[in-house]
Amino acid sequence: MPTAFKLTTAKGLKSEIYVPWTPKPVWTPLTKPLSECKVAFITSGGIHKKDQTPFNTAGDWSYREIPSDTPSDQLMVTHGGFDNSDINKDVNAMLPIDRLRELVKEGFIGSLVPTFFGFMGGGGNVDKFEHVTGPEIAKKLKAEGADIVLATGGCGTCHRSCTLVLRCCEAAGMSTCIIAALPPIARQQGAPRITAPLVPIGSNAGEPNNPTMQMGILKDTLNAMEEFDHFGQMKALPYEYRHNV
Amino acid sequence: MSLSKETLEAHLNDPAVLCCRRPAGTVLSAADFEDPTIFPDLVDSNLMTLKEGGLTIQQALGATLINDGEALTQLTPDLLDGVKEAPAEEPEEADEEAAPADEEPCSCYAAPAPAPAAPASDGYVHLHLDKAEGLDLVFPAGGAPVAGAPVPPACAAAPAPAPEEPAPADKVMRTLVKKDYPVTKVELGDATSYADGVLTIDESLVEAAKKADPLVKDVELKIIEPSERHVYSNTIMDVIPIAAKAEGKLGEGVTNVLSGAVFVLTGMDEAGVQVHEFGSCEGYMDEKIRYGRPGCPDADDIMIRVDVKIQEGTGMERRGPFAAHSAADVIVHSCREAIKDLDGVKPVKEETFKDVRRAGRPRVVLVKEIMGQGAMHDNLLVPTEPCGVKGGQKNVDLGNVPVVLSPNEVLDGGIHALACIGPATKEITRHFFREPMVEALQTDEELDLTGVVFIGSPQVNDEKTFVSERLGALIEAMEVDGAIVTTEGFGNNHIDFSENIAAIGSRGVPVVGVTFAAYQGQLVVGNKYMDAMIELNKDPEGFENEILADNTTTPEDAARAILMLKTKMAGIPIEPPEHKWDEAVIEANKKLVK
Repeated sequence: MPTAFKLTTAKGLKSEIYVPWTPKPVWTPLTKPLSECKVAFITSGGIHKKDQTPFNTAGDWSYREIPSDTPSDQLMVTHGGFDNSDINKDVNAMLPIDRLRELVKEGFIGSLVPTFFGFMGGGGNVDKFEHVTGPEIAKKLKAEGADIVLATGGCGTCHRSCTLVLRCCEAAGMSTCIIAALPPIARQQGAPRITAPLVPIGSNAGEPNNPTMQMGILKDTLNAMEEFDHFGQMKALPYEYRHNV
Repeated sequence: MSLSKETLEAHLNDPAVLCCRRPAGTVLSAADFEDPTIFPDLVDSNLMTLKEGGLTIQQALGATLINDGEALTQLTPDLLDGVKEAPAEEPEEADEEAAPADEEPCSCYAAPAPAPAAPASDGYVHLHLDKAEGLDLVFPAGGAPVAGAPVPPACAAAPAPAPEEPAPADKVMRTLVKKDYPVTKVELGDATSYADGVLTIDESLVEAAKKADPLVKDVELKIIEPSERHVYSNTIMDVIPIAAKAEGKLGEGVTNVLSGAVFVLTGMDEAGVQVHEFGSCEGYMDEKIRYGRPGCPDADDIMIRVDVKIQEGTGMERRGPFAAHSAADVIVHSCREAIKDLDGVKPVKEETFKDVRRAGRPRVVLVKEIMGQGAMHDNLLVPTEPCGVKGGQKNVDLGNVPVVLSPNEVLDGGIHALACIGPATKEITRHFFREPMVEALQTDEELDLTGVVFIGSPQVNDEKTFVSERLGALIEAMEVDGAIVTTEGFGNNHIDFSENIAAIGSRGVPVVGVTFAAYQGQLVVGNKYMDAMIELNKDPEGFENEILADNTTTPEDAARAILMLKTKMAGIPIEPPEHKWDEAVIEANKKLVK
């Protein structure tokens, strides 16, 4: 600045445009038709196989590898951040593994990666998810040839942990989308793509034992991924489910 | 989502809301509270309601949950044991509120806001401004013999005396004179000529225009009088002034300009597809143009419409729109030739533009983001003739990297815009010829305008990062004290916009951002440097309304942006925005401009 000068100023000026503060954009465009895409699913909603070590509900940045052909009745939830009753009724409410297999059978998507990933994002050590868990999951999914990574968060911090991992996947060259029960958090944390059905925390992928809704949410999410052409876009999905716990 | 210990401090007086399900007996700490910065979003999405009578985070901190609590539950006294009493109102601290800043726009000497000036032994006063995102200002202690001499506060009621030594002389780098010649009638004839206010256009040029490019399949020329504007038209691709160099090169010397008539380029392809991308303004010309905007025809202008039909399917390829512009330029150029030498004709008006470097004034730069994503998203930089096509460098081919033009080069038609983004938000060729932000900055005697930087918005994400980082390096090398960043359009170019602002702001340079956002163009990305923003929307509903240039920069917008920049440079806080587009904020800001 020069030493002395005159500036006409005003007190009380207000910024005219609301600006969300998001991390730097990461973006991998989706270049294949859905029917040729290999799809992965990850969830920070605390899903794991019944024979795997449960998550530490006080905070845990480890992850569980879930083979994508695991029967849904062999999966369970360990998560203290939300009411578990919906997932106990039907794990597809958080990890829609049966619906994904049906999508392949239908030819809507090409195939599934061999391995899905479950972790417990509650509490959520930001540094570990961003620099350890995220890059590890991204590397494994890339090696398995994933084109698309879909995800559900669980609670609020879960949405953050989930978004951190998705951003690593996007940076590693996969197109990602979070199906968000709490879209404002996904957006604030810099999710590359967001779809938002009106669902409660704990059944982020749709009402339990309602395959029609679960399928609709997945298909609409995949279709939205073809429409999204830049970072940070969000689409509200026309599904509503309320759960009075 | 929980708060960290650091963010907790900033939100002690915000409502306390559980971030996640918490069991009875939980003693509440930072990690249990939802982040208040996203409350408005949560409320808007019906994920949460905020009632009266809730506790603040400070009150709830350390209290114990009586029952299990679900995520996003607002905490009230009945849910907790051991709630702290509300603290007594803290006395106003002597912060910037107490500074003797005038309520009305005021003049002030020396920028820094009142902040503890730390005496230093290096002959400079070092100031740190808490409210300016870590901006550190370093400047000599006003010639005082003692380092650390008192610094006049910003906006002092009685301005500090100006320095004794006379201000250094302004340095005029170049002068441009635009001479206006009136057009009262446009007609078709055997040869192009201009005499006695009559512009005659050689009819055979239509055939020549068809040969301008193999992709051009048909060209039609129509003269539209101001009184006969209810004419159907294909989408308007551009508005092109008739201006020719009479002396000197672009940006200096003399430019002859015809006032009262302007070219309008419209187009579609052979299959009947309008040559547009996001939004199209085909329709009746009296309804689809915001007459009087810098980019548009004025109320009394005769429109010379060149309607071009291009090869089927090429409208969304770079070569298609370029062919249409080349065809129109054949006709426009013949008019330029006719007005190059008007010796002996008296202009009705002469406007003088000076590129002035004003030593001793804060150095500022204007950064204009332009489209560079192929198809019609291209711009020709510095053509040979004002607003021309020939000689212009395509910013897509330049890789969208930042290119500096002098203010006069811009105002002398240094940008021929091919950009065909949404009609209401696109900056077309005439816009640049009378760019209100450039005109206002160039004549502002309080500022030293260093130049106008054009930076493209590339299609590929890593290219976006590349050009933004080059902009940052350029800004650093220019050593400016302030910057205004504008963008046309909205959507994915807002990613570049936010990165460009961050590239400048992160270098400690105060920056103001100018764009259309409103309802339809709400920003999806952003950062902390985007805290001083000017809204270009003019549509009552906040939409890209497909009326040509409606939501582009006007002189009023430019005045607000410049006032906001000066205020930010002076260290006076810009209040944070409302959570949603609110016309009242813009109206209130307008009143602060004198």
